[in-house]
Order: sequence, then structure tokens, then C-alpha cells
Amino acid sequence: MKRLVEIALGVVTGIGGFLEAGSLATAAQAGADFRFDLIWAVILGAACLAFLVEMCGRLSAISKHTVPDAMRERFGFRFFMVPLVIMQLVMYLVMATELGGVAIALQLVSGVSYRWWSIPVGLLAWALLWKGTFGLIEKGVSVLGLVTLAFVVGAFHLHPPLADVLHGAIPRLPSHDRAHYWFLAVSILGASISPYLFFFYSAGAVEDKWDVSHLSINRITAGAGMGFGGIVAIGALVVAGVVFHPAGVKVDSFEQLPILLTSALGHWGFILFVASLAVACFGAAQEIALTSAYLMAQGFGWRWSENLPPSDDARFSLTYTLMTALACLPALLGVDVLKLTNISMVVSAASLPVVVLPLLVIMNDRRYLRDYPNGWFANTVVSAIVVLAFALAVASFPLLLTGGG
Amino acid sequence: MLLVRDVLDKQMVDRHGNRMGKVDGVVIRWADDGAPRVVYLEAGAVTLARRLGRRLGHWAAGLAHRWGGRHTESYRIPWNRVRAVTLELSVDVDAEETRVNVVEDWLRQHVVEHIPGGRK
Repeated sequence: MKRLVEIALGVVTGIGGFLEAGSLATAAQAGADFRFDLIWAVILGAACLAFLVEMCGRLSAISKHTVPDAMRERFGFRFFMVPLVIMQLVMYLVMATELGGVAIALQLVSGVSYRWWSIPVGLLAWALLWKGTFGLIEKGVSVLGLVTLAFVVGAFHLHPPLADVLHGAIPRLPSHDRAHYWFLAVSILGASISPYLFFFYSAGAVEDKWDVSHLSINRITAGAGMGFGGIVAIGALVVAGVVFHPAGVKVDSFEQLPILLTSALGHWGFILFVASLAVACFGAAQEIALTSAYLMAQGFGWRWSENLPPSDDARFSLTYTLMTALACLPALLGVDVLKLTNISMVVSAASLPVVVLPLLVIMNDRRYLRDYPNGWFANTVVSAIVVLAFALAVASFPLLLTGGG
Repeated sequence: MLLVRDVLDKQMVDRHGNRMGKVDGVVIRWADDGAPRVVYLEAGAVTLARRLGRRLGHWAAGLAHRWGGRHTESYRIPWNRVRAVTLELSVDVDAEETRVNVVEDWLRQHVVEHIPGGRK
């Protein structure tokens, strides 16, 4: 019974945690510009994430190491600095995006500019970390995150032609706007395969003292959680494909997006959209702030736990405090949140090899995984998707810089 | 046991099981009989900076000299205090009695406890 609850919670975490500013915005843009043609990118991203989450859980259960612990130990401090610095920069961009997303949700209901909301939102996120525990944050975020299922409900309400949706699940070459198509494909991959998610997951597995007996829970949680999570993102893409594509709408701000759900679900759609955006982005922001602190603490051997009061792990709690404070700045300064989202997602995709390839080396090292190392299938799938995301991201940089995204 | 593979960069825990930094460096000395011996493990930012580059090391040592008061070098733990090298490296010291947590303690007293909710 206890195991069932754990599995349910794990799956709920996957569903509730999948959608955030990046995956929502990129799905909406993809649906608007290419109808259902980019569904395959969401599937590829979710599959890759599922593999990575499973690996990190397995690493923690078998070796009792978190990912940063293992990376520093296996590759040494000099090498470890590379993923550390790159991940902190990427997480900063993504966290600023998420806080911006919450602020925009509040602007949509209040009419007060998102710039004014960034500080209260940041303060609230910080206060919950400061006083809350790991369980509260993880479970609270994931249960509330179920509101994002509204996109799946919305997609069904609009009766999209099922054959076309299934057709979109097959990767294809673009029929028009080639550069823009690949740019959106890599944005979707970058949004789905978020390193912060699997680092957070590995810290959680160590905090919850996982062992060999958790391996099956881990597999189910990763597969079902990320699978259903991917379906939420596909829901958003399908809704945008039905609502925006025929009308020729170009998505150039978050403020356009509530129409997605109001056209499917009426007035309730607006409320559900705002709630989804706010909850999903808020949850992601908290997980990123914590991951940033985990990464430092686990990399430098500090005391760490989200279950300790801040006075017992001062450096850990000040790291997430600083991260949250700095991440409020872009929205406060009035940076365009959608542009920030697109930049963050491409940069995130470009950073993947630095983080994922060392992880794969560790996952094949029997000193850590003993009798449970990676199989060739997981190795191949993850390396292929990560290399693809990296190549597309590098190719997209010129487009990103010229603002043509 | 291999020093770089099994000791360097490992998590250290004190005798109460509290995390107390990583093994940032290993100090080896040539004994009178000419054989190299591990004498200390080092934990501290100056050691880490040295591992990143000579110039960065000089710079970190300079900073430590200016602001670190009496302590300008990384904290050293004698090798004979090492109790076990398994998943973690356990050393027979009490972290509270060493200066390995001086940054942690300073931040707690001067920053965390001044933030609402920061006191226990």
C-alpha cells in the first residue's frame, strides 16, 4: 500500500511538474505555426527525459550518490566546474523565465503589470523554501500541478482530427519556414529535457533514502510520470494547432495564450489557464532554486537538506536565496518573458551534452551502478537525442540572435 | 586503494556523521627513507583554486591572506585521522571543533540569523 502511494505520488509529480513556462510557450508556438507537425519533438523530449530521470533515480538508489557527488568524484574538481558553471547559468535563465511566467499569470487576472509582480512572487517562492520541507514542496507542487491537465481536457473538447494528430507523432521534414521549424523543434527539446528536473529527482531519491527495492518504483515513476507529462504538453500543442493555426495567429507574447483554453472551455478556460501557468511556473521556479543549492552543496560537500532549518545549512539556504533574488531581476526590469523563454530553451538544449554525457559515463561505471548499469538501448537513445538537440541548438543560435525565432 | 580514484574529491564526514566538505587536496611528503607518504588531506577554497590554475591559486591565497585572518591555508586533516574510506571518507574529528565550517558559521551568524525565520 505504501509503495502504491509512492508510485502514485511519483507519477503525479511527473505530470504536475512537466509543464512549465518553456514547454507551454514552445508547444503553443509550434501548434500556431506548424499545426500538429512538431508533436514528435515533444515525444522525443519526454522520452529522453524519462530515460534520464530513471537513470538518476537508479544512480541514487544503488550508489547512494547524487549526480553532482558522483560527477565530482568520478571526473575530478577541474572537470566538474564545467557542468557546474554551465548548469547554474542555464538554471538562472530558466528560473527567471518561470518567475516571469507566474508574474504574467498574475498580470492576466489583476491587470497590474507583470513587472510589479516579480518581487512578491520571488518573495513567496523564497519564503516557502525557507520555511517548508522537501516533501511539502515536492508534493504540494505536483498535486497543484495537476491543474495543467486542463490542456488535455481542452484538446479533447476541440475534437481535433485524430489521424492528423497521430501523423504529427512521426518526425518529418518541414514543408515551409525550415529554419523556424528546427528552431521550434530544438526549443521543445530544450524545454522538455531540463537537467534541473533529473538533478532534483536524484537529490530527492537520496533525501528519501532509496535503495535497491525502489528500482521498480523508479522505473514506473519515470516512465509513467514523464509519459503523462508529455501528454499534457501535447495537449497544449494540439489546442494551439486547432485554435491558432487556422486563424494564422503568430504567438509573440504570453498574454495571447489564455485564448487557447477560453475557446475550448469558455470562462472556466481562462481561470484554468491562469492557474496552470501560475502553478506550473511557480513549482518549476522552486525546483530550480533548490537544484541550484543542491548542486553547490553536493559539489562542495556542504551540509544540505531541504528538511533542515536554514540555520543548520546556511550556505545551502543562502544559495537558493541568492538565486531567487537574482532571478526576479529580468521580469522586474521588464524583459520580454517570451523572448527570454525562447533564449533559455535553446541555451538549455545547447548545454545538454556537458551535463548528460558525463552522466552516461557514470551510468556505465560498475563501481557506481554495480549490477545495474545502463543497457545499450538507454545509452543509444539518450546520446542520440542529446546530440541532436545540441546540433540543432548550435544551428539555431544565429536565428536567435537576429530575433528571427 | 588509489589516491586519486578513491580519496580525492570524496565526501568527508566527521565522527558524528556530519558532512564536512570534500577531500579537495592530498598532501604527500617524502619521508627520510625516500618513500612518499600521504600526510594530510586538505579541505578549502585555496586548494580548489590551485587545482584550477596557478594564477587563480595565487589570487585565492592572496584573498585568504587579506581576509582570512590567521588562517591563509586550507584546513588540513592528518591522514592518521582517516577511519574508513567507503562511500564517504570518515575522519575521526569533530567538525564543530575545526575551522572547516568557518564560512558556514560566519554566514549563519551574520546573515541567516538576521533574516526572519532564520533562527531555530
